[in-house]
Amino acid sequence: MKKILLTTACAVMAFGMDTIPVEKREFSASKFVPDISLVLDASYVDRNVKDHEVSNLELEGIAHGLYGSHSHGEHAHSSYNASNGFNLNYAELVLSSSVDPFFEMNGVFHYSEEGVEIEEAYVTSTALDYGLRARLGKFNSNFGYLNEQHHHSWDFNDMPLVYEGFLGMHGINEKGIQFQYTAPTDFYLMAGVEILQGDNEQMFGNSEIHSEVDVNGTDFDFETEGEDGSTLTVAYVKTAFDIGETAILTGLSYASGTSHIDHTDDEEAHMFIADSKLYGFDLVAKYNFDSYSFFKLQTEVLYRDMDGTVTKFNDDQTALVTPSVKKEQAGAYIQAIYAPSKTWAMGLRYDTFFKNTINDVDGADDLAKYSVMTEYKTSEFARFRLQYNRNEALSEDEEGRVDMNTIIFSANISIGAHGAHAF
Amino acid sequence: MHKFFVLLLLLPLSIFADIKIAVTYPYIGAIVKEISKDKVSTYVLAKGNWDPHFVVPRPSLIAKVRRVDGIIINGGELEIGWLPPLIKRASNSKIAKGSIGYLDLSRYIDFLDKPTKLDRADGDIHPDGNPHYHLDPKNILILAKAIKNYLIALDLDNKKEYETNYTSFVNLWNGKIKEWDKKMEDKKGIKIVQYHNNLAYFNNAYSLKTIGTIEPLPGIPPSSRHTMELINKIKAQKPSAILHDVYHSTKTAKFIASKTGIPVIIMPHDIESLDEIEDLVSLFDYLTSAIK
Repeated sequence: MKKILLTTACAVMAFGMDTIPVEKREFSASKFVPDISLVLDASYVDRNVKDHEVSNLELEGIAHGLYGSHSHGEHAHSSYNASNGFNLNYAELVLSSSVDPFFEMNGVFHYSEEGVEIEEAYVTSTALDYGLRARLGKFNSNFGYLNEQHHHSWDFNDMPLVYEGFLGMHGINEKGIQFQYTAPTDFYLMAGVEILQGDNEQMFGNSEIHSEVDVNGTDFDFETEGEDGSTLTVAYVKTAFDIGETAILTGLSYASGTSHIDHTDDEEAHMFIADSKLYGFDLVAKYNFDSYSFFKLQTEVLYRDMDGTVTKFNDDQTALVTPSVKKEQAGAYIQAIYAPSKTWAMGLRYDTFFKNTINDVDGADDLAKYSVMTEYKTSEFARFRLQYNRNEALSEDEEGRVDMNTIIFSANISIGAHGAHAF
Repeated sequence: MHKFFVLLLLLPLSIFADIKIAVTYPYIGAIVKEISKDKVSTYVLAKGNWDPHFVVPRPSLIAKVRRVDGIIINGGELEIGWLPPLIKRASNSKIAKGSIGYLDLSRYIDFLDKPTKLDRADGDIHPDGNPHYHLDPKNILILAKAIKNYLIALDLDNKKEYETNYTSFVNLWNGKIKEWDKKMEDKKGIKIVQYHNNLAYFNNAYSLKTIGTIEPLPGIPPSSRHTMELINKIKAQKPSAILHDVYHSTKTAKFIASKTGIPVIIMPHDIESLDEIEDLVSLFDYLTSAIK
C-alpha cells in the first residue's frame, strides 16, 4: 500500500499531467470499439379481438389500420405486440461512440422478423459551446416528452393513444437536422428547432402517390406529386426547475408540415393531402423518496389542425371527387408511476381524445383507453412487465364501437454497454 | 462601526466568488471549500444521503452545469449512470474532457478490487475497480493536492491563497490521521460484513476484513438463499459487526443481526449522509468511532 501511495504521490507531482502508471499505458485497438448493446423485447399477448380483425379497427376520423401487422406501399412492418400469442417485437442493436473531439455518433438498428430498419443514425456536436448543440442524420424528434425516448425506456408497452393516432407507431422519427440551445439561466431553459424531411405516413408525409384503382373494369387514377425537399419543421421550448424535492420538466412543441396520406389500397380507397400543424404541451413531475423509490406524474396534450382535400369515390363509384376537409382534433394522456424500490414499479395511464371536429362537425370525442401495469427488474438490464389495456376508442365499419381488452406480458432485456438515459 | 465597514468590503467578495465549479459529490465540495475558502463557489450535484451510483439526472442540474467554469468528478465510472446526459445537454466547453476545467479525481488514485474479467453475471461491477476511494483518509491528501493544482491552473491570480489554504489543510489532516490511526489501532484485523463493498478503502486503511456482503453480487438485491448462507458464514467466522450504508434498507441486515446477535452499524459514506456529518473531519471522526 505504501508503495502504491508513493508512486501515486510522485506522479501527482508532475502537475497538469494525467498520471497513468507505466504498466497501464498500452495501445490496444479494442479500446476504440464503440459502446455496443443489444436490446431484446419479446411479449406474450392475449386479446379479445382476433388478429385478422385488429387491422380493421380504426380511431374514428383520426386513424385506421393502426394495429396488427400491416403494409403501407412497399413498407411492411408490424406494430409492437401485434399478434395474439408470442411476439418478438425487436432486437435493437445500439452503437455509440465519440467520433473525434468534436462529434459523437449513435446508431440504432431495429431488427425484426421483417428485416432491419435504421431507426436512428445521427451525429451530434460535442464542442459547440455556449449551450449550442447540433445533430444531423435520422433521429427521434425532441417534440414533446415521449417522442425522443426509445420503446425500451417507455413506462408502458405501447405508445399513448394520442401519439399512435396522430403520428403512428414511430412518432416523429425523421431524417434531418436539429439545433438546440440551452440558455445560461438559473433554471433549465432549452429551445430547439428541427428541419425534417417529412416521411411520417400517418401525418407528416410528402411522398408521391400514384395508384390505379379498378372499379367494375374502369381504372381510376389517384395521383399527387411528391414534394421535393424537406417539408416538416419542428420547434419547441422546454424548461425545468425543482419545487422542493420535486423535479419538474415542462415544454411546448410545434410541428408544421404537409400530409400525404395514401389509403388507396383500402376497401374505401382514398387519399388525403393537407397542410398540417401539431401543437404539444408536456409536463413531467418526479418526486424521489430516496435513491430508488419515486412517484412520477406525466402528461402530454396534443392538438392538430389539418387543412386539405380528400380524394375519394363518389357514392355510386363512378368518379373521383375531391372535397376539402378540415380536421381539428385533440387528445391527451396522463400517467402515474410509483416505484417502491429499485426492483418494482407500477403504473396507471388514461388516454383520451377530447376533440374530434371534422369540417366543423363534432365527431366521436368520447374515445378513451385505460392501462395498468406492474413491472419487476432483476437488474438494470432485465425488466418483466405485465400490462392490461382496456381500449374503448376503437370502432369497426359495420359493427361500430369495439372494446378491446389486451393483456401483455413483456420481457425487455439488454446486454452490453448502453449510455445513461436522460431525465 | 469599523467592523461593519470591513464586513461591507468583504461582502461582495464572498457573494461574487471569482469562479464557479460544479462537483459531483459533497466530499469533493468540502475539499474545494478547504482549499479555496471564499474564492470559489461550488455547486454539489448529488445529495450526500443517496446512493452515489443512482443520482436522478434532474434537468435543473443541466442549468447548473451549463454556467460553471469547471467540474470535478469522482470518476471510476461512479457517475456513469447519471452525469453524461447532463454534460452533453449543457454544451459548456469549459467542462469538456481534456480542458483545464475538467478534473477526474480517480486518475490520481490506484484502485482496489480491479476485476480481472468483466461479466455482468458477476453483478454490476466497475471495470476500473472499486470507485469509493475517498473513504481512505490518506487518499483525501492526494485529492486535496490534485484539487489545489487544478484551482491554481484555473485561477492563477489566487495561487498564493490556494497554496496557503492547502498547506494548512494538510497540516490539519495529518494531525487527524494520527488521531484516527490511534483510535482504530485495536480494530486491526477484525472481521466485518457489509451491504455493498463501499468501505473497501476504509477497511484497507485500517485493516478491517470484509467476510461477505448482504447483496449477493454488486447491485443485485439480497436473496433469501444468499442471506441464509451469510448467516451460516457469520456463525462460523464470528465477525464483529454489519457495517451498513445509509441508503439501502436495513431490513435484511436487521434480520441477519437478529439471527446472529452481531450489531448493525450505520456507516456514513459522505457529508450530509447523516445529520451530524457536516464536514470531512466529522465524517472520519464518526467512521473511526462507529465500531465499538
